[in-house]
Parts: sequence; C-alpha cells; structure tokens
Amino acid sequence: MKVREFMRCDLTSVELDTTVSHVIYLLHQSGLASLPVVDEDGRVMGVISERDLIRAVLPGYVDMLQSVAFLPSLDQLSRRLHEIGPRPVAEFMMEDVVAARPDDNDLHVADLMIRKGLKQIPVLDDQKRLVGVVRRIDLLHRLRR
Amino acid sequence: MILTVTLNPTLDKFYWVDELPLSLDKPEEAVLIRSDRSLTSAGGKGINVSTFLSCHGVETVALGFLAGHTGQIILQDLLSRGITANFVWMPGENRTNVTVIVRGREYHPLLIHEEGPPVSEEAMGIFLRKYERMLRRAEYVVLGGSLAPGCSPDCYRTLVQHAHRAGVRVIVHAGGDALMRTIGEGPFLVKPDVREDLQLGALPVSTPGEIVRAGQWMVAQGVEASLISHHVTGDVLATRDGVWELEARVPLATFKNLVGADDALVGGLLSALIRGEELVEAARYGMAAALATAEVEEKLCLDAGAIRRELGHVTIRRRSEG
Repeated sequence: MKVREFMRCDLTSVELDTTVSHVIYLLHQSGLASLPVVDEDGRVMGVISERDLIRAVLPGYVDMLQSVAFLPSLDQLSRRLHEIGPRPVAEFMMEDVVAARPDDNDLHVADLMIRKGLKQIPVLDDQKRLVGVVRRIDLLHRLRR
Repeated sequence: MILTVTLNPTLDKFYWVDELPLSLDKPEEAVLIRSDRSLTSAGGKGINVSTFLSCHGVETVALGFLAGHTGQIILQDLLSRGITANFVWMPGENRTNVTVIVRGREYHPLLIHEEGPPVSEEAMGIFLRKYERMLRRAEYVVLGGSLAPGCSPDCYRTLVQHAHRAGVRVIVHAGGDALMRTIGEGPFLVKPDVREDLQLGALPVSTPGEIVRAGQWMVAQGVEASLISHHVTGDVLATRDGVWELEARVPLATFKNLVGADDALVGGLLSALIRGEELVEAARYGMAAALATAEVEEKLCLDAGAIRRELGHVTIRRRSEG
C-alpha cells in the first residue's frame, strides 16, 4: 500500500521564525507529536517534536541518565521554558528530516518509524514541500482493517 | 490545485423533524422537539467547496482558522474525507450552525447561526503567510462565506490583491460589504450570497431583471463574471460578452436540503472549468450540481452520475440586449 493512500493530508506546520511558545501552543491544540518547519517556499527544513523541546529545557546530563527522578522539582524546567519561549524554533528543530514520499510503500514507512523511534513523519513531494503526515496510529489503524 | 479560504468555519448540524410548534414565542412550557434523523459535517462555504471538489477528484487545499474542540471535529471530518487541510489554530471555539428541516416544508428550514471566534492580528498574520505560500501552488482561490469577528472589512479585498499578484484567479463566494469591497480588484467571478439581504450594495436583486442589472453593474466595475441565483432554480451569469439565464424546471417539492446548494454550484462550476469547459457550460454543470445537492438530505451531492442526470433539466438562454 502506498503512503498517499493512508497519510493524513494535514499541512499544519510552523515557520523557521515561529516562537517556541507558539509551537507548544500548536502541538497542544493540534494533538500532533511533532510539526514540520517550513521555509518561505513551503519546503520542509526541519521538524520540531515534543522530544526536541524537552531536550532543550532539560540539563544535558538528564538525557545521559535517562531520568528526571533526581531533580528537586520541575520549576527549573518551567523557568527554562519561559526563557526559550520567545526564541525561534529554527534553533531547536532537527534539521535531519526523516520523511516519506507519497509513492513509498507502507513497509518502508513502518521500518523508518521503528528504526528511528518516531511517532510521526512528514510526507514530502519532489520539491521537499509538505503534502501530508503519517502517524504510527495511522499505520496501526490501516493494518487493523 | 484549488485553494479555498474559510475564515469562519462551522460544524453544520442538521435535524429533521416532522413538525415544529406553530409558534416558539412565549411558550408556557419548554418546547421539546424530537428529531429522528441528524447529520453533522464540517462546513462554511470554502470548506463545502473543497469537500465537493475533493470528492470529484479535483486537488484542493482548505485554509482558514480552527479553534477548540469544535475545530478538532471539523479537522477530523475534513481529513477523513481525504481533504487536504492547512489551518491556523487559535484560541476560542469554532461555531456550530444548526439547521432544522421540517419534512414537507424542506424549502423553508429554520437556521441558527453562531457568530464564531474572533481572529486576532497575530492569527491573521500567520494565516497570510500560509496563504501566500499556498498561492504558489494554486490555479484558483475561492474566498467563501462570512468574515470571522475581528477580520478587517477589507480582508477579502486584501486576499484578492495577494492572489492577483501571484497570478491566481479568484472566486468570491460571499456576501455583503466584504464582497462589495473586492469588486474593484476585478476578481474572476463573484457569486454573491443574497440570502439575508436581497441587495447588492445599493442595487436590489429580488427579480430576474434586477439581478441582470446588478450582474452587469459588477462586470462594468471590473469583475470578469458574476453569477447570481434566484431560488435554486434560476441563475444569471453576466460577463463582458453577455448575459445568460440558466433555469431548471424542477418542482420545489423535490428539494430535501438547500444548505449546500450554492456551494455545490461553485464547486461544480470549478470542477468543469478545471476539466476545460467554457464558463457558460461550467455554470450549467454548476447548476446541475446545485440541483442534485438540493435533492439529497446530505449537505452536498457527491454523486457525479446524479449531477449528470440533472444536466438535462438545465436550460440556458442568452439574454438579448436591452
């Protein structure tokens, strides 16, 4: 089955200069786990995910220890979020975009998502413009039918 | 690709009832009206046009503003129908428009329309950047429906200007002042919404003669074509080349739901233009789509076979000058 047959044609995205605060608002409103970041021509230049934002506010050693259990509270993270809130998303996005094409098959996309541990990947056309997204749940839903 | 803009989307809710109380004024008790059938779908003129086009195999992207839980439902409905959506999220809650249809009197539904959430300057700024980007992929843009609270009265005029700079043809499928302000920009086609007010600026549009004069006036002001409906069974197309009257000999009793008919008209016309039809023939196909839509309970008729069957009921007459 081709990606175009089961992708979500949701072009919700942000621009390189969109603030981190707005990205958090948009992730919350849209229910998406990540958002493509596009340039003025609509080409996808990066992806910003919940994980990227969490990584941006946590001290570096937390990522190494894989736990926040030893932090006294989340106040420090809240302060850090307020600090980076007005900054552009381009500073925090992943530039190495893992993406699918509309004519890729489902097995290829499933393999990509599992290997890279991604909840969602953008689908791009030949000019790197966003044409949809595939979420893990879209694949599961399709396989269940 | 056809871009549609719906600045004030809605969740359309339809209820069918056997009867309504004779009067809803000052009832002595609460009025309970039971409905044995209901339908819910994403709506707003631009969204309806996108729904029609997408189901007829025409590439389309729907743009506008979404808010709150209702916005989530609208988006889910669009995505489940395979429509490409590119909306700006904002605080608040999208509106819900209720239509109560009494069986046997389908021609006169009871409509309750909410106002919709206000659009902030920030949200409009984000929208304009999206709009400009999407215009680069578009062949036509449809500006559909009422302006959301907070939008400048010149909003559609600005959007027409942006589209023209990008070399994209515009159809303004709206009413009132928002539409009138676009006329000087020379959009490709205007489809005025005269449901609430049988008036276009200072011009009345109650009779076929008045509609012809209003259409000719808009063409003289710069629009390439004007398409104005009187009821569902008559349309007047005015262009620089002349005026055509389209008429359908269909009894009003066959109509089941008129809410999406105007949007099917625009969707049908566009899908025919994309196929390479001339404007007059495209308007004929649009009218057939409107008729087929009015004859089903669902908001839009998405059955191309039913639309083709209606083509035989639509006659076109070129109006002689004078």
